[in-house]
Amino acid sequence: MSTQLLISAIILGLSMSGIYFLLTVGLSLCYGLMRMISLDQFLYYALGAYMVYTIKTLTGSYWLGMGGGIIITLIVAFIIERLINKRVYSKPVMFSMILTFGVNLMGVGLIKYIWGLTPKPVASPIGGSLNIFGTGVPAYRIFVICLAVVVYFAVQLFLNKTIVGTAIRAGIDDAEKVEALGINIKRLFTLTFIIAAALSALAGAIHAPFVMVSPEMGMSITAFAFMVVIIGGLGSIKGTMVSALIVGQVVSLGAVIWAPLAEMAPFLVMMIILLIKPTGLYGSKLASR
Amino acid sequence: MKRYLTGATGIILVFVLLYFLKGVLPPAFLTEVVIYSIYAMGCSFLIGCLGLTSFGQPAFLAFGAYGAGIYLYYFGTNSYVAILVGMLVSLLINMLVGKFLVRLSSSYFTLCNQAFCVVTFFLFQKALVKWTFGDNGLLLISRMKPTPIIDLTSSKGFYLFAFLVAIGVWLFFYYLTKKSVFGATCLCVKDNELKLRFLGYNTFNIKWFAFVIANTVAGLAGALYTVYFCMVNANIASVSSASEAVAISMLGGAGTLFGPLVGSFLFIGLKDIVSQFISHWELLVGFLLIVVMLAGQKGIVGSLEEYLAKQKSEKIPPAPALTKEGGL
Repeated sequence: MSTQLLISAIILGLSMSGIYFLLTVGLSLCYGLMRMISLDQFLYYALGAYMVYTIKTLTGSYWLGMGGGIIITLIVAFIIERLINKRVYSKPVMFSMILTFGVNLMGVGLIKYIWGLTPKPVASPIGGSLNIFGTGVPAYRIFVICLAVVVYFAVQLFLNKTIVGTAIRAGIDDAEKVEALGINIKRLFTLTFIIAAALSALAGAIHAPFVMVSPEMGMSITAFAFMVVIIGGLGSIKGTMVSALIVGQVVSLGAVIWAPLAEMAPFLVMMIILLIKPTGLYGSKLASR
Repeated sequence: MKRYLTGATGIILVFVLLYFLKGVLPPAFLTEVVIYSIYAMGCSFLIGCLGLTSFGQPAFLAFGAYGAGIYLYYFGTNSYVAILVGMLVSLLINMLVGKFLVRLSSSYFTLCNQAFCVVTFFLFQKALVKWTFGDNGLLLISRMKPTPIIDLTSSKGFYLFAFLVAIGVWLFFYYLTKKSVFGATCLCVKDNELKLRFLGYNTFNIKWFAFVIANTVAGLAGALYTVYFCMVNANIASVSSASEAVAISMLGGAGTLFGPLVGSFLFIGLKDIVSQFISHWELLVGFLLIVVMLAGQKGIVGSLEEYLAKQKSEKIPPAPALTKEGGL
């Protein structure tokens, strides 16, 4: 294996890790605070990508599309949370999973209805390539990696330094006590849910130039997102980051060795980690419930 | 009357009635309904009796389908043997995979199942492409010879055979869930696993055994599917159809005897009718799933049973609180 191939595979893996992280951090936050597995995050991911496509064709600006996509997804997520999801917080995980899967399925149907079945291309907003150790790497991939790192630190700062973030962390530990302190936990749930949705939409928007935007894109990334969440452990931001890095590298390096390995190797990694630690790398005791 | 309708005679009666519906409805539709209901039976059993939701059912369907398909393509010509081989392959794989998956808690179980489904899809589409021909699939129509007793290669013969298999599966599940100790322990796992373990049962083995049974039935449905359509391709394991089994189970009512049948009748009927007008059946199925979940997750048969029980309990004085609360 040549060095150039290796370097470009590692960079590709890192950018995939960035996208996986943005997508799964929402899932992880939702599980941590509300004890629900929100499968409709994949709908917001697809919606973000479609909004980028639509706004870019209308106005010609990718960045406007990204911003608009996030804002529209925020509104949609808020409506869905108010109408449907708030009813499931007190119920078992299984309940929220099937219900949000229904939401996801309905969303896929709506997307097919509005945009049709044909995959749509989105051009990369940053052209050109950077030279890293003598290997040409598309600049957009570097941008994706930087964005994921910025979001990671922003989420950590939000959770650790702001008062709302502290309340969310306290809620992850013990929701009842937080409520007893006089904090409106319902509002906290809504806030966390729309933050998660916005991050998913961002993931969709930055993933759009890599892949064709198609109605099934949310479905096809589901399995990788699940593997990231399971390896990292549900409800842990740090674990999500570490396992996104692992899965991204396994996917891209696996593809270099033998193409079908790319999709199957993360599953083997997941199985081995689950055999050693059934709650994932950073999963706490709450995940075993 | 209720006693006859829910017992073994009721099962045979329902299927005989359904069999003669072929005068009204197209037999191709009814065959598909029966195959899907066998497929959903396993999923419904897992959700309703064990509290394990599996979004990876297409994987287990695919192992049965490819077991039968590969046998027919490379080794033999007999469809009966192909169905047996399909079941056997899925039995062996379920026994192996179950050991890994059943250890997990319920939320991890669901996520891992779907991940396993994707891996299976890529296994058949890319990794084994030399033998399975990926998306083109195995075409078996010239490989299948007419079989004795019931000719599985003719659509009439297959129609009868599918009904016989369905009656067998239903009787099996009826005695398993309603009459055996094993069925009672399964329900107990769902309600209070810790208590069952305290009583000295090995809950891992119970869950593992139930997982193997449920998914081998899915494999049987897959083998029937292969023989019926005379072909199998990688799309059978695609993730986008992962919802189907769960949707059917929830629509009909998970854990009820006739839930999967009613659910698949409705699901395939709606899919056929809706796709004549708009090509996006997901919209409707998703909507129905949300409605069923918000309306109390009992499904059609489950709600009906509850209604009948309420009618009955108005005539008879209520039972003591201890049994009603489910105290052991």
